[in-house]
Amino acid sequence: MEKTHRATLFVEEAEILARDEFEGDQIILRVAAPRIALAARPGMFVHVRCDPALPMRRPISLMAVEPTDGWLTVLFKVLGHGTRRLAEKNVGDVLNIIGPMGVPFQVPPDRPRALLLGGGLGIPPMIFLARWLMQKGERVSHATNPSLNNRQQPIDSHEDSDRRELVSAALGQETPFQATAHEPLLLMGSEIPFPFDLCSSRIPVSLPDGVTAAMAPMEALGIPSRLASGRGYPGSFQGFVTELAELWLRTQPSSTYREIALYACGPEPMLRATANLARRYDLPCQVCLEEFMACGVGACAGCVVPVTTPTGVAMKRVCVDGPVFHARDVFL
Amino acid sequence: MTEKIAHYLGIDFCGMSLETPLVLLSGCAGFGEEYTRVTGFSNRDVGAVCLKGTTLEPRLGNPPHRVFETAAGMLNAIGLQNPGARYVVDEILPDLDFSETRYIANISGATVEEYAEVARIFDASPIDAIEINISCPNVKEGGMIFGNDPAMSARVVAACRGATEKPLITKLSPNQTDIAENARCCIEAGTDGLSVINTVAGMVIDSESGRPILGNNQGGLSGPAIKPVALLCVHRVYQVAKAHNVPIIGQGGVTCAADAIEFLIAGASIVGIGTGLFYDPLICPRINQGLIEYMDRKGVDNVRALTGTLRCNSPLTV
Repeated sequence: MEKTHRATLFVEEAEILARDEFEGDQIILRVAAPRIALAARPGMFVHVRCDPALPMRRPISLMAVEPTDGWLTVLFKVLGHGTRRLAEKNVGDVLNIIGPMGVPFQVPPDRPRALLLGGGLGIPPMIFLARWLMQKGERVSHATNPSLNNRQQPIDSHEDSDRRELVSAALGQETPFQATAHEPLLLMGSEIPFPFDLCSSRIPVSLPDGVTAAMAPMEALGIPSRLASGRGYPGSFQGFVTELAELWLRTQPSSTYREIALYACGPEPMLRATANLARRYDLPCQVCLEEFMACGVGACAGCVVPVTTPTGVAMKRVCVDGPVFHARDVFL
Repeated sequence: MTEKIAHYLGIDFCGMSLETPLVLLSGCAGFGEEYTRVTGFSNRDVGAVCLKGTTLEPRLGNPPHRVFETAAGMLNAIGLQNPGARYVVDEILPDLDFSETRYIANISGATVEEYAEVARIFDASPIDAIEINISCPNVKEGGMIFGNDPAMSARVVAACRGATEKPLITKLSPNQTDIAENARCCIEAGTDGLSVINTVAGMVIDSESGRPILGNNQGGLSGPAIKPVALLCVHRVYQVAKAHNVPIIGQGGVTCAADAIEFLIAGASIVGIGTGLFYDPLICPRINQGLIEYMDRKGVDNVRALTGTLRCNSPLTV
């Protein structure tokens, strides 16, 4: 057997280059990790050593990578011991991180319109994906990305044929996306202040009047974005991000649904609602999951979720079989 | 592996010639290839890899959550998720590179007969040895139920002994009154080696919901939190095992060379690495190097010489 999975993850002593703190104990770190930044794709994550006193690492989604300059950014919120220790780190400190881990989002070439839904701490991978979709040409082909080849023997024998197809489709996707091939629309929901600068969008989106607040860094890149919150932030949609997504879908001619794919990351109720939305509109939908995690390499089966396969329910590892799954396979 | 390392660290264990006295523990290293994803990791840095616990039929394992961090430790309840012994032998073993290290199967069953059947399946395979798991705290049938009863433990070992000529290592539970008595029964039943210890049974509770955090309600504690428990168990088992020349894999919370040395001194011949791998996948070469430096400093020329060198204090008299 050709051991193509070997040496696809990198251990890096990553210096913190920048640190931004936002309301609600939300922190963004930019760290130097050139090998991970080069291999990372949207949906993938890094396994972070937060403190020598804590025996477990913490999996944290990638929000952005800059392969040329060799850095990546992560967003996290202080929720427990690990993130509290991580929040105490300053610029110049060094973090031991492993990555890039996981199977990334797969973008079907025949679905050029990408509706991205991010909720709370699930926003970062959506930002990464939105930027990825907008990058013009010069994309490293998927076929040369060793991280996509890192699947190997499953812990259980219930191999998911759909999943295999998904990975092989990505492997065959050697042609870089064309300049205007993908049009992302990024919708984000949060019940605490958004951890980035907001602006009033000049990019038109088919949504009710007054829903104008956008993420300024996305706006600057020409990526349309809108915000949803129950907190009534100015310019935001008052409600759930999935409700906002449905409002947008309703404005689209049904003949164009076959061009749309959904991508989502966020709390479970939001993902469940997204999966329902996808089912009602018959749209393909990938969700990015999280679970408590130990090894991160597929060795311990600690981070599994129940996944429907053609042969029945299987326990799939979020770290190597995911974190991205088909919504229909995880939310019945 | 340089000649010097082989000279210091090479050791015979249950008839297997190991390059180093480190073993990756069952449940922490998948089916042998998973950690090789990490650049810099090599199975050659360890003497053996214990494969994930395997039963006769495939098992789904426990519902999530399965792992949770605790103070200086980790609680897990995986529940022996595995594809079944036949699949492991037919589909997984052929892909392992046996030139890199020794591979040890880890077997479980709901009945004595199932243990024997799984042992028989591995007997007809290239596996180097078989570890009998009679101490898993996370399954309803078998596992710890056998391991906490010395007579039942002996029955399982005897049944496996009748099913295979390969070296048999029995993994003992700390969740019992007298681990040394259990060890004695397993030795008499024909085990060649002992693994000391499996995880310590425990629970984590979410005070907000009033529910256990783990899907299985209870789990097994590992990591530095259990090292003192494990050291005492190794010391006590060694008092029984040494007379029979039955060697011990000492394990429980090893994260550095000093930890490994403590287990050797307590009576282990080789040392298991488990949870420590999660924190640092490149821990093994670091421990190997630390062992060599220690032996150099102490004028010890092979790791064998450290086993059971504990010098207990005289009881305090008043």
